[in-house]
Amino acid sequence: MRLRLERRLEQRWWHAVAAPVGAVVAALVVGAVFLAVEGFSPFTVYRELFKASFTSAFGITDSLAIATPLVVTGLAAAVAFRMNLFNIGAEGQLYAGAIGGAWAGLALGPHLPAPLAVAAVLAASVVGGLVWALPVAVFKAWFGTSEIITSLMLTFVALYLMRYLIFGSRSYWRDPEATNFPQGRKIADAAELPQFGSYRTGWGLVVVVVVAVAVWALIRYTSAGFDMNVVGTSPEAARYAGISTVRVVLMGLLLSGALGGLAGGIEVAGRAHALDPNGLELGLGFTGIVVAALARYNPFAILLVAAFLGGLRNAGVALQTLPGDRVPVEVSLMLQGAILLFAIGAEIFVRHRLRLVRSGLGPAAGAQSSTPAEPVEQAGVVA
Amino acid sequence: MSDGDTSGASAAPSASMPAPGGVVALAAYGVTKRFPGVVANDEVDFELREGEVHTLLGENGAGKSTLAALLCGLYQPDVGHIERSGQPVRLRSPREGLARGIGMVHQHFRLVERFTVAENVVLGDPAQPALLRRADIEARVAEIGERFGLPVDPRARISSLTVGQRQRVEIVKVLYRGAEVLLLDEPTAVLTPQEAEALFTTVRAMTAEGKAVVFISHKLGEVMAVSDRVTVMRGGRVTGEVAAAATSARELAELMVGRPIEAEVRRGSGAGGGGGDVEPPGLEAVGVRLVEGRGGAGGQTLLDGIDLAVRPGEVVGVAGVAGNGQRELAAVLAGITAPSAGRVRVAGTDVTGRGARAARGAGLAFVPEDRLGTGLVPGLSLTDNMLLTRRRGFLVNRRAARREMATAIQEFEIKTPGTEAAARVLSGGNAQKVLLARELAGLGADGGPRAIIVASPTRGLDIGAAEMVRGLLHEARQRGGAVLIISEDLDEVRSLADRMVVLYRGRVALEGSTDELTLEEIGLAMAGVASDDDGAGAEAAAGADSGEPAVST
Repeated sequence: MRLRLERRLEQRWWHAVAAPVGAVVAALVVGAVFLAVEGFSPFTVYRELFKASFTSAFGITDSLAIATPLVVTGLAAAVAFRMNLFNIGAEGQLYAGAIGGAWAGLALGPHLPAPLAVAAVLAASVVGGLVWALPVAVFKAWFGTSEIITSLMLTFVALYLMRYLIFGSRSYWRDPEATNFPQGRKIADAAELPQFGSYRTGWGLVVVVVVAVAVWALIRYTSAGFDMNVVGTSPEAARYAGISTVRVVLMGLLLSGALGGLAGGIEVAGRAHALDPNGLELGLGFTGIVVAALARYNPFAILLVAAFLGGLRNAGVALQTLPGDRVPVEVSLMLQGAILLFAIGAEIFVRHRLRLVRSGLGPAAGAQSSTPAEPVEQAGVVA
Repeated sequence: MSDGDTSGASAAPSASMPAPGGVVALAAYGVTKRFPGVVANDEVDFELREGEVHTLLGENGAGKSTLAALLCGLYQPDVGHIERSGQPVRLRSPREGLARGIGMVHQHFRLVERFTVAENVVLGDPAQPALLRRADIEARVAEIGERFGLPVDPRARISSLTVGQRQRVEIVKVLYRGAEVLLLDEPTAVLTPQEAEALFTTVRAMTAEGKAVVFISHKLGEVMAVSDRVTVMRGGRVTGEVAAAATSARELAELMVGRPIEAEVRRGSGAGGGGGDVEPPGLEAVGVRLVEGRGGAGGQTLLDGIDLAVRPGEVVGVAGVAGNGQRELAAVLAGITAPSAGRVRVAGTDVTGRGARAARGAGLAFVPEDRLGTGLVPGLSLTDNMLLTRRRGFLVNRRAARREMATAIQEFEIKTPGTEAAARVLSGGNAQKVLLARELAGLGADGGPRAIIVASPTRGLDIGAAEMVRGLLHEARQRGGAVLIISEDLDEVRSLADRMVVLYRGRVALEGSTDELTLEEIGLAMAGVASDDDGAGAEAAAGADSGEPAVST
């Protein structure tokens, strides 16, 4: 008996769901081992984790508050990744967006009515993200420079720029009245995204749902989205059909960057209300990659996955308040990392299946050492 | 380990064929090989005797190559077994096959370009000592070459050799390792008619020494010319085994297809420039040059002063041995590559260097050689593939594309689960039909295509689908389309084109009406010998018979 990996002839819809769900389950199992080794009861921890994030109204809204930026960073990763453009710099684009958004909130916010002020913050954050993604896009489109390297390196530039603006200089963004510890200047009240009553989530959630639908519609119904699909799956066919790869690569990376920036604007307008390095350095951009991978780049699935991972993040904090044994906050981050690894690993099972091969079929069947390296007849042909 | 023996016992020697003299050198009995979703070989029996050429004939996908892979050790059968000289053997790898004297020459060469011929011959040979004795190897390579009519310079680098010479190296390689049984997988696909004839001479020299040859082909003419026996396969099964002397090309074709062959679409006199000289050519290249590398500085010249005009209602065929500029010419004409010099016009509009979209806008349709991956996007639905080359506004109009695709599926009898199925599930023939349906849509109507470039239109298609594609191209021409066919398959070009152009090293080596050019002239032009220079022609055609090689379909 041996296991063999074979290409699936048919992909059914539930394969696409089963793979990420399986990845989450596998990650929880691995997490359980670590918890057990550390002397915690996995069942207790997972139960508390679930209770903290998904049972009470405050728990759910706190989870959604974290999920809100994750939706947009998830979309940022998804639009690029589905084109095989690995913009892993949504983190940096988020900081750049936050810098832009905070500027608009400080400079324009006091002079505008509430809805316009919020719009100005979000628009400025999009511009910030675009500016940060522009070098990545230009060097990729015209010179083929690896977007993975450039986007990652620019993330550090953005991070230290943001820290410099608040901690290292007396910049426009820094609160001049904060004497003890440097802080960001608070944006105008009109530029804040209103919250739902006393809950910690608010209109930002509505904004990100609208954005998710818009991204879906863009991919599904517009020519630009169509071109992005073609370039992503088959650059050669795009070239032959006369689709400009340069234009589409620019478009994809800039769209991704704009979404990354928007996440920063939503954080500034919805939660931080200032350019606040401590409140923004949460790895939301990097977590977006996990969201996108687990959602298999589907905008609607991103909404669900972001809610789930938001809950996990939220619970990480909540777990610390458990009476008795203090579960480290890193548990939720470790689970998140394990989920990403398993989600990527599970991808292969969407296209392939494992099959048990009995070795008693024929004289030579047991001797085969691998799947056919180059099947002579095209597998999966509709006869 | 239950039924291994029974399957062997059930495989009695073929009943349809009285066993002629000669020892069975290599045989497969009752072999079945499955791949996911396909039974590539289904209880196949095959016997190869010493000193004979036994051809495996069948359409693409019939299972010939799988059987060859089983015989040489590349694959192992799921059921059934292989015998070498009467002994059951289990070949776990091609190396084990070679150790038992079974050598395969693949359609795609496996040579290291930067190594010399001799180095390639001993590459991976387990019998070589750690320190190579170069002089000995080179002497033996030369000796083998001489004995079997395979002249190669042992010290030449592979990169300097022509395709025909490279194939000789592949054959020398297996002979050097002591192969007594040779499997040649579609060896003539890359050769000029003269080179093919030289190969047949080599094959005869090998069989005269008692070696056995499995010859894989789907070209009936050469099969009749070179074989002693022919095994015909269809859908993974053997449909007949006949002695070549006792059969005809027609009978073989019917065994291949499984039904009587209808008369194929003949080249008739079509519109043939019926638009008169007033109308501009549908497709025109003037002095097109293409030099490798950015800015055209210092690179290799890929296209050198190509002049070409395809009139409305005319089919022009571009022939040549692979790698003589056909691919580049297609890319330049389709606007994908900008030429270094010269102009390209589509229906009178200059589209030089303006990109594929501009060329399409001017009325060009293009069916590339690689259908899935270049012509079609494998991961997208058929509907979306239909949209690929359509003019699109801000939004895509999927409804119209879906309707168009549904009509095409009916009209062209495309076998697919539906319009939303991914293109990757299509077979080669059906993919080609989808492409042609997309590219030829609106032909003859206002705004429809005026010129069509089709690369290898029928390559890899079964006879039924090929007939349909020929019919479509014929119809395109009747409706006033300017059709350019680019193919390495000479038979294909000759059967479709009114006029032919032969490319050699990026130049037009020969041009003329298909009916007036002889096969010999074409072959010489493909080999790079100027046809107006008879003396030089005869010299370079050494080994080629003066009469036309038997190529017919």
